[in-house]
This record gives sequence, structure tokens and C-alpha cells, in this order.
Amino acid sequence: MTATYPPAEPIWCAGCGHFGVQGSLVRALDTLAIERHQVMVLAGIGCSGTIQSNLGTYGYHALHGRVLPTATGMHLADPDLTVIATGGDGDGYAIGMGHLVHAFRRNPSFTYIVMNNGTYGLTKGQPSPTSEAGGIAGPALDAVTLGLSLAGSTFVARGFVRWSDQLDRLTVAALEHSRAGRGFAFLEVLSPCVIYNDTYPAWEASLRDVDDDPDHDPSDRSGAFRTASELSAAGRMAVGLIYQAPARAAAAFTGAPRPAAELVDPRRHEGAYRELVDRYRV
Amino acid sequence: MKVETRRSITDLNVMVAGQGGDGSLTVVKLLGILLARRGLHMYIARNIPSRTRGGHAAALLRGSIVPRQCVGDRIDLLVAFDGEAIEKAGERVSPEGVVLYDTSAGPAPGACLPDSATVIAIPFARLAVRDHRRDLFKNSLVFGVLTRILGVDDDEARDVLRELFLRLPAEAIEANARVLEAGFALADDHDLAAGAGPWLLDRVEREDRILISGNEAIGLGFLAAGGRFYAGYPITPATEILSFLASHLPRFGGVAIQAEDELAAINMAIGAALRNPRAMTASSGPGISLMQEGVSQAGSAEIPLVIVDCQRAGPSTGMPTKPEQSDLNMLVHGGNGDFPRIVLAPGDPPDCFQLAVTAVNLSQQLQGPVYIALDQAVAQDSCTVEPFDMGSVAVTEGRRLSPAEVAARPEYRRYLVTDDGISPWALPGTPGGMSLVTGNERNDWGHVSSDPRNRAIMVDKRMRKVECFHDDLPAGRQWGDRDAVVGLIGIGMELGVMQEASERLADAGLAVSCLQPRTLWPVPGETIEFVRRRERIYVVEHNAEGQLAHLLASVGAPHDRLRGILRYDGLPFLPSELADRVIRAEEARS
Repeated sequence: MTATYPPAEPIWCAGCGHFGVQGSLVRALDTLAIERHQVMVLAGIGCSGTIQSNLGTYGYHALHGRVLPTATGMHLADPDLTVIATGGDGDGYAIGMGHLVHAFRRNPSFTYIVMNNGTYGLTKGQPSPTSEAGGIAGPALDAVTLGLSLAGSTFVARGFVRWSDQLDRLTVAALEHSRAGRGFAFLEVLSPCVIYNDTYPAWEASLRDVDDDPDHDPSDRSGAFRTASELSAAGRMAVGLIYQAPARAAAAFTGAPRPAAELVDPRRHEGAYRELVDRYRV
Repeated sequence: MKVETRRSITDLNVMVAGQGGDGSLTVVKLLGILLARRGLHMYIARNIPSRTRGGHAAALLRGSIVPRQCVGDRIDLLVAFDGEAIEKAGERVSPEGVVLYDTSAGPAPGACLPDSATVIAIPFARLAVRDHRRDLFKNSLVFGVLTRILGVDDDEARDVLRELFLRLPAEAIEANARVLEAGFALADDHDLAAGAGPWLLDRVEREDRILISGNEAIGLGFLAAGGRFYAGYPITPATEILSFLASHLPRFGGVAIQAEDELAAINMAIGAALRNPRAMTASSGPGISLMQEGVSQAGSAEIPLVIVDCQRAGPSTGMPTKPEQSDLNMLVHGGNGDFPRIVLAPGDPPDCFQLAVTAVNLSQQLQGPVYIALDQAVAQDSCTVEPFDMGSVAVTEGRRLSPAEVAARPEYRRYLVTDDGISPWALPGTPGGMSLVTGNERNDWGHVSSDPRNRAIMVDKRMRKVECFHDDLPAGRQWGDRDAVVGLIGIGMELGVMQEASERLADAGLAVSCLQPRTLWPVPGETIEFVRRRERIYVVEHNAEGQLAHLLASVGAPHDRLRGILRYDGLPFLPSELADRVIRAEEARS
């Protein structure tokens, strides 16, 4: 056996929600029997941007806000690799927001777990786009409603670290969705920062679990959008599997070449190359 | 038009100018096919405004017996679809030149042309609409008159027209063919009889050639070198690389993707490169500015990546369609922090092909960023060159570890400190090769670390990497009188102009030695040596600061020998202008 890097101890504060996210992720990999060498965990910048060092998988520490394009490139290179992008709300919803919209739209088959704590913890408590009013001007950004509003989205879920059984189920469902090639699995996890934004009690009181609601149909996009946006307008949040497109609806990049599988032997394509050069003959 | 003696044409410069959307490129394409059939070398330049349609636009085509890589001094034939075309280009029309002027929008402006030039005024657009119901047919009318001036047989002109429109529906071909006949009739009206034009376009035998732009040559080189992932964002003048690879990469088992911005483009390429495919992105100044964080990341995290900069006039949005070489400082020094990088600079399409291959290979060996610096002229101008031979392409892998090699090791550390700084690399997906890749400072396992001792070791390890390639970096091109005390140095678009200007200088009795460096960073010893061996070096650059000269001086070229010949008005040098600048500078000394 080749010895590889020893997984790091988490740097997070006692009580940080991110422990719960990591726990669910590790359990999901075990539940789905995914070998660690088949997994690439990408992380952004911030407290959450250290999770990739703790798992024993392949890990990549992306530039601030760029975890989604990096994961997109990696997925396109090798659709067989289990790609898990992670990051915080500052990384994903502030500096990286432009990429989130396009990830929903393109629907590449990887999982994106956002650890939302409504603050910039690592730089000591500045407000983030999901801070309640009083932080950055305007109401908190609701990425779930945003995702549902984009026609390309295929999997939109939200979990809460304190509801760990549900978070385990959602993490497994997200990985199954993306690993089956059904597209971009977006999972926001409410993961409070006990130092700068301890929202455990406030968030818990505001949540509505749609998984428990027999009238909620996760395959109905407009119903899901109505539920999520009405809750959002009332200062509450939906949690659970909010929307998952029916299996047949998703076909992200299917049939695209798999360049990572290519041995670098340009001679294999010499015929195509000659034909291409011939087009320029005069 | 009166014909006294028929003049043999061995170097023909044609400008077709008018409002963008006039279809001026159609006339250029027709002429291109004609010149190719005659075996002439071609150079085609575009000088277009940054608008989809409208605005003054010109295309230039040069056909010559001797290969030329730039626009010639004089315009022999000007096709002017409006008065502005004459106002802008009139002073460059040769005294023996011919101007075909479209009078549809009014009479030709006076006093812009040499008195001895011939003006043939015909309302091409009006006739095209009146007799043929489409404005665009004026191109075929013009071509009929043009071929008569060039002494081209009518049947040859007919064949050329059919060749261009080969893929159009039959009725469109026939319609254009009828318009061409009308063009011949117009020529008859102006005393330009078949087979009796004033000029005789030369015909030569030549080797097999392709007509290709620098951007397309970059795309071909990338494919030939096994490049398999491209991400880009549309920007003038780099967009052709995106469209070329979007069209062709899939057939080579690769993926090309249009990103939402340049930040995404470079990070997509980084993501792909981490997993294996040889990856590239391209842009121009504004986009390359956005990409700086990604270049620094590739340098820090040790990820192979090729970045093409098709430079345009800056700063900021600058002049999108005009060439400049003012990004050199950014390419050599940009991105935060210290990291190793290589910057290559092609001067023509064959260089673009070869240096794209070299850049892909070097990026793998370096495990870091390699730039290819073009300028708008090298990127978008086309010329005839020998077809690029894929047989000459060698692919080097860099220090990869196969799954078997990983399995045979007791341990695998991604950032293992080695003598040459290059750490053997296992691809994600390899059992036992699990690694942490990060742009943060880290220890050899990839764990983030700010330990001072480790920091110094890691910085040194990275900076050491580029030293192993010093001797393998692409050499420059040197020509002229090796013993001359006067030297010229220029990159990119200056190559072709310097070649022609050095001939003029030699004719004028000033011997010069010329160098086109093809590696800009690290600065090769030969470049410094070239400066040291001469008394005066004219550094020909398209920027205001003399960035190349500063770069050379910063690594030990004697700065008192370097003199800038600078231009930053968006136009390339003409050979005579460059020769004059050198002669004037030399005269000013005495």
C-alpha cells in the first residue's frame, strides 16, 4: 500500500456546523461504497475551504469563488470521477455567484455542497449575502429560490446540520444524482458559525421540512418554487429535497468526449489532423 | 483607360475598403483564390473596426513572388466603396496605382491621390441594386473589372468565381456568374478589353501551401501536441481560437467550452488539467488581466496550463481590433507572488504552430503556466506557408507517475522536494495517489503550512523548476549581416516588417543584424549576447513604454545600447517607415 497524506484535523471551532457537513459526507461515501481514490473534493476559500484536507480523498483548494468552474473543467475531463465541490456562502454567493448561475444552467454532473453560515468567519465576522438584513444591504440571498428559477437546474436541496439524519439522506441523494449523470446536485447546508453568527436556534425555529409534507412534490418545479419563495418572503426557509428533475429530463454533457481517458498519442488522430490541414490548402 | 506598356506584377498590394458590411472581404477572397492559382505568396490583413456592421473597414491583400509577412508600402490597387476609403488610404496609393471608386454615394474626394494614379469611377452599388437587385452583387461586378486590370483571362476569372461560391445553391452561383459578365461589360466601357489590361499578373510554380492565420495555427499546434481541453470567452482578437477548437476538438476526443467569463475559463482549464488533459485558454489584454489570479494559481499549485494572449491596443478596453505589444510587463511580471513561468512569442503562423506544440509540452514538464504572446496582426492576419507536418511533432509527458509506479512506491507526496524542483505527479483517480493540491503554501504532502523553513524550501523548489528548461527553450530567428554593429530586435508582427526593412537598409548601405526572439521569459542568453555583440540595438515595439527593451535591460543587456523604435497608434509599421526610422536615428548620431 502506498502511503499518502495523513488527513488533517479540522480547524473549525467547537460547535461549528461544518463538522456535521463533513460527517454526512464521509457517511455518504461509505453508504455508497465509493473508494477514496475515485473522489475529488474541491473546496473554496474560507473556514469551509479546509474540508478537502480532512477526508483522505483527492483534494483541491480552489481560488476564492472559482470552485464551480474548476469542478466543471474536471468533470468534463473525466465524467467517471466523483467530483464534489464545496465552499461557503461568501465563496459561492458573493465572489462566486456568477458561476453558480451558470452551473445551474449548464447542469454538469457533480455535487456542490454550500456550507451557509451567513458570515465570513475566517476574516472575523463580516456580513455575507445570506446575513439577515442589517448586514450587506438588502434581504438575505436565497440560493434555493434562485436555483429553482433557472430552467437548467435538476437538483435543489437544503439541509440543516442539526438535523443529521435528513442531511445524511440529502447528501446521499445529491451524490446519487450527480453520479448517475443526471446533472448538477445543489445542496445548501445551514451550518452556523458559533463565534460570529450563532443562528442555531433562530434558523431551527424558521425551518419547514418539505420532506415531511405529503403535499410537497419534489418533481414539480413550479410548486417547489412557490413553496420556497413564499417561505422566503415570510423570513422562513424550506429544507429537504426541494426539487429533483425526473430522471429523463437530465442529459448534461452526455455523449461528450472523455479527454482524461485519452492517452496522449496524437498519432491516433493523424487522419483527422491531415483532413483539417487540407481545408487550408490553396 | 489607356494602356501604353503592360506592366508585369510580381508584388501586388490591393486594398478593399468601405463601410463594414460592404462585403469587402468577398472581393479579397476572390482575389485570394486568383493569386493562389497563380502560385503567388499571400499575406492578408484586416483592419476592421470593432462593430458588427458599419464603420470604416479595410482588408489588405498582398500577392508576391517572394514570401512577405507584412503589408507593403504602397497600394497598387484600391477598391474604394466610399469616399472615406480614398481619404484614409489615398496617400498610400502608388503613383502608378489604380483606384476603382464606387460613385454610388457621391463623387470621389479630391486631392487625396497621387496625380498620376488612374481613377475608374463606376456606381457599382447602384448598378448592383438596379440591375441585379442585391447590393452585395457589387463584389462580383468589381471582380470583373479588377481581373481585366490585372490582365487576367475572362475564363480564369469565371473559374475563380465558381470556386469561391462552390458550396452555394446553384441559382446563387449562376446569379453571381451573370453579374461577373456585367462586370466585364463595365470594363469594356472603360477601355479595359479582355486580355489587354494595363498589368500582367505574374504566374509562378510553387510548393504546396496553406493559407492560415496565427490563431488557426495555434489551434492546429494545440491539436497536434495532444491538447484536449480548451475553455475560452469571446474576445477580439482571440475569438478564432475558441471557434476553431469548438469546431474541431471533439473529433480529436477533446472538449472545448465557452465559459461565462475569463475567470471561469482559466479555472475550467485548471480543473481539466488537474485530471490529465493538456489544457489551454486564450484571450486578449482585458481577459488576460482577469486571468491573472488563475496564472498565479497554476504557478503556485503547480498545474500545467497554456495561456494565449492575442494582444490588442490597451490599456483597459483600448482598441480591440488594433495590434499592440503592451502586455509584456503583465505576462512576465503579472500575477501575485513569485512563481516560475515561460513566455513564448511567435512571429508568423509556422511559429504559432511550433510554439503551441512547445508550450503544451513545456507546461507539462514545468507543471506550471506557459504563455504564448501574439499580437492582433500575428493572430488574425493570414499568409501562405508550408503545411504543418504532424510527423515533426514530438510529445513529451513531463514527470507523470503511472498507477503501477504509484503502487510500487512506499509513499506518494505531491510536492516532493527534488533536485530540479519538479515533483512526480499522479493523476486523480489513481489508487494510492491521493493528494492535496492547493495554491496556499503547503508542505510536501499538500497540507497548508506557513512554517518559515518549509516556506523557503517550497519557494526555492518552485523557482528551481524553470532552470532545467533554459537550454531547451525556443531559440530566436537571426538574419542579416552578423558582423554589423547595428542590430534590430523585434517580436511578433515586427518579424515580417523587419525582414523587408533590413533588405531596404542593406540596399541603402546600412548593414544590420536582426533578431526575433521567440522566448521572452526567461530571457535566453542568446538575446543578451546579441545585444552585447553590437554597438546599437534598435528595439522595435508596438507599445509606448518600450517594454521589451526594459525587459532586456532588467536581465543584463547593456541598456545604453538599446534604443526604442516605438509605435502605438494601432497601425503596423510599413517596411519603408521602419527603414526610415532606423536611418534617421543613425543619421542623428553623426
